[in-house]
Amino acid sequence: MSGTREGAVGAREAERALGGAGRGSARSRRVLGVMGLTAALLSTGCTRPGEDRAVRDTRVGQAEADALKVEVEGGLASVRTLASGTLELWGQAPVFTTRVTAGAEARTDWLFMVHNAMPDAVLDAVDAAGSPLDVVAMPDAHPTVKAWRVALRPGTEMRLTVAPPDWDARQPFRFAALADVQEALSKVGDIYAKLNEDPSLRFIFFAGDLTEFGTREQLEEFQQRLEADSRIPLYATLGNHETFTDDAREYQRLVGRGSQHFTFHGVHFSLVDSGSSTVDPLVEEALDGWLEEARDAVHVVAMHIPPLDPIGVRGGGFAVRNEAAGLVGKMARAGVDLTLYGHIHSYYSFSNAGIPAFISGGGGAIPERFDGVGRHFLAVDVDPSAGVRGVGLVRVD
Amino acid sequence: MGYGRPVWSARATFAVVLGLWLASGAARAQDGGWRSAFELLASGPELGGSDIPRDVPKRRGSDASVVPPEVMARVLTEEGPRPVPTASAAESGPVVAPEAPEGGRVSEPRVRLTEDAPRPPFKPLPVAVAVVPGLLLHGLGAWAAGDPVTARGLFAAEATGLGLIAAGLVPIALTGASRKTIGPLYAVTLTGAGVFSLSMLANLYAVTSPAFDPGRVPDTLPPLELDLGYQYVHDASADYRNFFALGAVARLSKVRLQASARLAPEEGNALIRAGVAYRLWGAPERTLGLGDGTALDVEGVATYHRYPTEGFTLGGGEVSLKGRYAMERFGPRFAGAFVEGGVGLSAQAYSYPGRVEDDNLYGQLLYTFGYGVWLGRGGPLRGEAVLFYDHRKDGLVGGLRGRGGGMVGSFGLKGRVLLTERWGVAAEAQAGGALMGRLSLVYAVGGDT
Repeated sequence: MSGTREGAVGAREAERALGGAGRGSARSRRVLGVMGLTAALLSTGCTRPGEDRAVRDTRVGQAEADALKVEVEGGLASVRTLASGTLELWGQAPVFTTRVTAGAEARTDWLFMVHNAMPDAVLDAVDAAGSPLDVVAMPDAHPTVKAWRVALRPGTEMRLTVAPPDWDARQPFRFAALADVQEALSKVGDIYAKLNEDPSLRFIFFAGDLTEFGTREQLEEFQQRLEADSRIPLYATLGNHETFTDDAREYQRLVGRGSQHFTFHGVHFSLVDSGSSTVDPLVEEALDGWLEEARDAVHVVAMHIPPLDPIGVRGGGFAVRNEAAGLVGKMARAGVDLTLYGHIHSYYSFSNAGIPAFISGGGGAIPERFDGVGRHFLAVDVDPSAGVRGVGLVRVD
Repeated sequence: MGYGRPVWSARATFAVVLGLWLASGAARAQDGGWRSAFELLASGPELGGSDIPRDVPKRRGSDASVVPPEVMARVLTEEGPRPVPTASAAESGPVVAPEAPEGGRVSEPRVRLTEDAPRPPFKPLPVAVAVVPGLLLHGLGAWAAGDPVTARGLFAAEATGLGLIAAGLVPIALTGASRKTIGPLYAVTLTGAGVFSLSMLANLYAVTSPAFDPGRVPDTLPPLELDLGYQYVHDASADYRNFFALGAVARLSKVRLQASARLAPEEGNALIRAGVAYRLWGAPERTLGLGDGTALDVEGVATYHRYPTEGFTLGGGEVSLKGRYAMERFGPRFAGAFVEGGVGLSAQAYSYPGRVEDDNLYGQLLYTFGYGVWLGRGGPLRGEAVLFYDHRKDGLVGGLRGRGGGMVGSFGLKGRVLLTERWGVAAEAQAGGALMGRLSLVYAVGGDT
């Protein structure tokens, strides 16, 4: 990482500075040696803990096997299976397109399965010329699991778009915001049951910490419970707990990118990886693009660790407050309408740089005591023409 | 030598002391030998001495000068000859130095037992033991060196640290880091981490210190120090890198005024801090040698930090309590070392250019601890070096980025030393969310010239 080289410079500077104090003295040289070594050890700390994740993010949604090359645009789905005539994806957005390039030897009959899809999603499959492919919809095993038989054309590139029919209509809608299930995974069904009571909710916008340690088993259990109990899909960013296992590699394999952006009904949604209490410069560069893209639109941004904890003494925000202040200022100047966070297991309504901000860590992880708020989620009403119309607290217990 | 403004009561004290010195006759001392009345008085408990014969082992924690620092400071700040027979319980026996040949200082302001006492021999094995497994069992180094008393003290400190960590962390977990209790619980946890870390470093120091002559508390420090240098900052999330580093410290008896500026000419980043510290307990900094370096200050600092390239400005204030403890009080092996710590609160607000508004006031828990050594042994070379932890998340370094969610602050090593009466250097290396290195030239105004 870049910090090591720069840190060595600092150590050398410190050594030079102290060198003047003890010139010619063996004792002083010993002291300097110890201090220099200490400084060098200190400097080996990585200043970009999220860099590797950000790089791996760019490879999410890509796979190649059986003479088939698959790339999900924007990394908005992860490839779970690509073998034996089956392409299985975990969707991370209401709308996404998969580019499929079939080699001359590729088989033609494929099962295209999408988990975590919108309940009313349909498949639009076309080749490079825009002519439709033959598609047969399979029965739904769960409301959010969709499958189609698709006749691919060897030697061509095709586009498979999964989306609800009305996805690009500019109309108001409601979504849920949730975070921090963690060790309460066994009870998360209560939350889904409460969510299912509101038929107007279109999806869950999840701000990280799906599981306690981010292991493959825990993430698979999370996804199985979601499919079994929830009527609507859940689009997530990772939390710091997902990084506990192999720096969230399992999350990226099973769920998807830590940072991504999509639009629905004309509203822009950005999920940003802040799982290491920072936003890596690679992610921030992507965010810059999303902010620019959504400058004249309604834009909702979610990340797990809030840049600034409203309870500053606790310091549950970014590790470097300057970075936090710069980030929220940038979002404010770009006209972000709403920021949603997790990490703190309670409910907070505040503002950062003037942007309405909510912390909703009510997924069941060890709750903050004495706050009068237990498990909960937020119901957010948003209108692409008018902005965020309302954010309601929905208690589960 | 420049000293502070004379005080009338100090003159009176000086006159009484001088009179006793000149008029005293000889008397039989308890520990044998004929001594003047002043010598007896000076070695008595009234002025910090002891009637206990010198062959009685020193009592731990009793070696602090019990002459009120402000009294001795007044004596020292008098113009003209100063009979300064500093006495303390640690310095049994006569402590009056012979008359100075040229009418200057007649004695060192502090005569140390450790300079006369035989120092324990250096042994390599305890050093190895102090590392493995001593980093986990903090008394083992001293125990391997044949010093069970120090070993017990370090074990006790380690156990206290671990106990405080548990006493803070367990309730934090049980309360889900509740906004209503997090402040004190966090402070308890950090105190535990500090005690644990410092006992670990003390264990290493206890077995390595016999290899060198320990440094001494500077007898005096100049009334004004100015520093100018270069600071490099590497922060992955910021554009700035190169800073001019400016600083000033003014020492006025119990009050210390300090100001610093970090200016990045290319990006326009400007960090300006100004503050005042008042010494609640301990010898004034200008005459540190009157004590053993143990002190307690209350400090207030105002901060202005402009980030033109990041698009915001921070303003705020902070109040903290900072203390330093001479480790020699803990045991003779720790001569020349000290531990320090500070706790406080800050309140900060951010302003953004244009139509962006933010009226929030963000608090912050300030907490520092460190293990340091004095540099220099009574000559013009004097200063200190400290290995430290700083819990603050603002500034140019911030806290460590990682999986804990911004829980941990930064670690660093800093040193400041006057090489001559006028000139010195200061250096600092710190690792948090950003990496920082600084090297400054120090110029002293006034003082021992």
